[in-house]
Amino acid sequence: MASAAAVLVLTASACAGGGSSSSSSSASSSRAANAAAITKPVTITFDEVEAAGSLKTAMQSAVTAFEKANPKITVSLTAYSTYGPLLTAETAQVAAGKAPTIGQAYESWAEKFATSKVIVPISSLPGAASTMTTDLSTFYTGVQNDLKLPDGQVWMWPFSKSLQVLFYNADLLKADGITSTPTTWTQFAADLKTASKNGVVGITIDPGNATEGVTSGEEWLEELAASNGTQVYTSDGAPQFTSPAVVAALDYLVTLKKEGALATGTNYPGETALGAKKGLVDLSSSAGYYYEQQTVGGKFPLTTTVLPSGSSGSADEMAGANLVVFSSATTEQKAAAWKFLQFLSGPAEQAAWSAATGYYPVTSQALTEPAMASYLKQNPWVSTTITGLNNAIVDPPYSWVTQCGIDLSTAISAALSGTSASSALSTAQSACTTAKSNA
Amino acid sequence: MIGTTTGAAGSAGTGQTGGRKRAKRVGHGTERDFRRTKKGWLYSGPAVLIFGAFIILPTFYTFYVSLWNWNVLNPSLSVYKGLGNYKELLTATDPGFLQTLWNSLYFTGAMVIAGTAISLCLALLLQRGGSIMNASRVAIYLPNATPLIATSLIWGWIYNPQFGLANWVLHSLHLPTSPWVEGQATSMPAVILFSLWHEVGFTMIVFLGGLTIINDEYSEAARVDGAGPWQEFWYVTWPQLRPVTSFVIVITTILSLQSFTQFYQLSGGGPNNATTTLSYLVYEESQVLQNTGYAAALAVVLFLITVFFTFVRWRTTPGVSATS
Repeated sequence: MASAAAVLVLTASACAGGGSSSSSSSASSSRAANAAAITKPVTITFDEVEAAGSLKTAMQSAVTAFEKANPKITVSLTAYSTYGPLLTAETAQVAAGKAPTIGQAYESWAEKFATSKVIVPISSLPGAASTMTTDLSTFYTGVQNDLKLPDGQVWMWPFSKSLQVLFYNADLLKADGITSTPTTWTQFAADLKTASKNGVVGITIDPGNATEGVTSGEEWLEELAASNGTQVYTSDGAPQFTSPAVVAALDYLVTLKKEGALATGTNYPGETALGAKKGLVDLSSSAGYYYEQQTVGGKFPLTTTVLPSGSSGSADEMAGANLVVFSSATTEQKAAAWKFLQFLSGPAEQAAWSAATGYYPVTSQALTEPAMASYLKQNPWVSTTITGLNNAIVDPPYSWVTQCGIDLSTAISAALSGTSASSALSTAQSACTTAKSNA
Repeated sequence: MIGTTTGAAGSAGTGQTGGRKRAKRVGHGTERDFRRTKKGWLYSGPAVLIFGAFIILPTFYTFYVSLWNWNVLNPSLSVYKGLGNYKELLTATDPGFLQTLWNSLYFTGAMVIAGTAISLCLALLLQRGGSIMNASRVAIYLPNATPLIATSLIWGWIYNPQFGLANWVLHSLHLPTSPWVEGQATSMPAVILFSLWHEVGFTMIVFLGGLTIINDEYSEAARVDGAGPWQEFWYVTWPQLRPVTSFVIVITTILSLQSFTQFYQLSGGGPNNATTTLSYLVYEESQVLQNTGYAAALAVVLFLITVFFTFVRWRTTPGVSATS
């Protein structure tokens, strides 16, 4: 059954923008053609956040494989614990004139980097102009769109993407008589309320703050709003925080809190609560799969599902930073960087990376790779959720969105602390609008 | 004025010298006054260079940056704003400048009042010697010797509303539990409680130092005249500790205004900006949002507030302003 579902998904994803076999072979040949571009030893530096556990191991394996295939290129990794320190480090290095060759960056960072003229468009990398379009076409549609800045150019390249999923304590589901996981947010709320007793709180979220950056709590609000029919931003980055859909989304969280079905915390509190059998479900990134398993430690089986739907359908937010190349790199480093970007986003490495980390591959071609087969068999939920990369919601690539995300987090905290949802969101709307106009 | 010492310790010391013969001091303009010799400059040169490079120059640079819409990634793209960043302080929302200023003053006030009172009480309790007292001093001082970031992490778990030790204790005692740093009304008190635990050890040691050099003759005289313990403390002991108390207040005020780590790690400035202080906002604006010019303006305001409080204490501390 799982295999059949996987086949269906493979077919669907290929048709929905995941590329075709012809483009796959074309991309492979273009990669081979570029292999001769590097004629003398070159070292590229890469600032990233794959600092621990399976992420660190997988990243080191990727670099080893790349260096073996490209003996003249050395990749020097510098890992940071989270995205906050990464941004600080990248900024400091750019300011000091010692930027890395490649860095991970969210869309809003990339826009700031681009307008400050410290990164280059991907098409400007040596060897990229002739092959980039072909490579690009192999990515899921949502991933393709996520790589462009408002000027329409591709400034970023994909590497690790994820969607949010729900990790349930299957034993608690059974004990509470919940025979099937919810398909609507209304049903989800009812299940949380049912489970919240005897020290168990249905779900625990992190509303987020400036220290932590984007958190699952803030993303959940965005997904609820989108499933109610309105995204929190327009495509040009204008906030719509006071729209009825966003207010209803925040009211949904407030109601859960009042009913004792939602708690707040920091530092992945939902995962901690789930592992301690104090939570029914955790809303988290698919890339958190191995961390969830580690936290649960075999105490109970995990059931993983897609997000429920709202009145206007389902909405899932794509997460995971992209890669950018800094303008201070030499021509040789830029050529090597393009080869590394191609390697990381290629089907074989994407399959290995996804199977090892829980991130989704950015191209459907990875799903047929041997490294992916056993992973898909063990985790059929991946097959049922991955096509979400075609139409996932993404925060628009504007620098002020970082500020607005913090404003939204503050609004969640305020509403859960007693301020009315509309008032909290009105404050956030005002602050975000000011940030937009200042930018 | 030759040979007059300055500062809290000096003033306290002056009080106990009584009729003792004052040690011979060397004044300005003599051969051994290194402040006016080439050797003196040579000796102090490294310290002056380090202080200038890491404190003085960055301070002036911060003033300069505060006048610009500063692009830290590419300074050539910066735009001059004059006092624009300072005007924005007054119109900013979420969090507003006044709200963060209030949070800073709330934290500072609590730390100064509670910290001074608690550390003075502890010093009075532990001033007598003995192994138990000495062990208690070490135990109380120990938190101050631990890294703030590490203990903030640990207290984050202690404060966890669902699994934390604090709520477990309250629950075990059949007392109402608290959301601690997760609650809008409780987050700042929770951070203050942690900060007091971390800081009172240092100020207690300062008070203990002060207690060792005050003149016991006054206390003995007071007791002979029938003064009770409270009267002895209020009219005899504490007045002699005024310079030490003043030092503790000044240093606690400055350190509290500059406190950052516990707000970063323990509460993240939240919830709903309840623990966003000026120091935290400087971090948020400069490091997270990269509004460098605006953050520099905030830093300048924080600097001026710190200078103001230091100046006020300096002017109102007996024996300090007069000798300067």
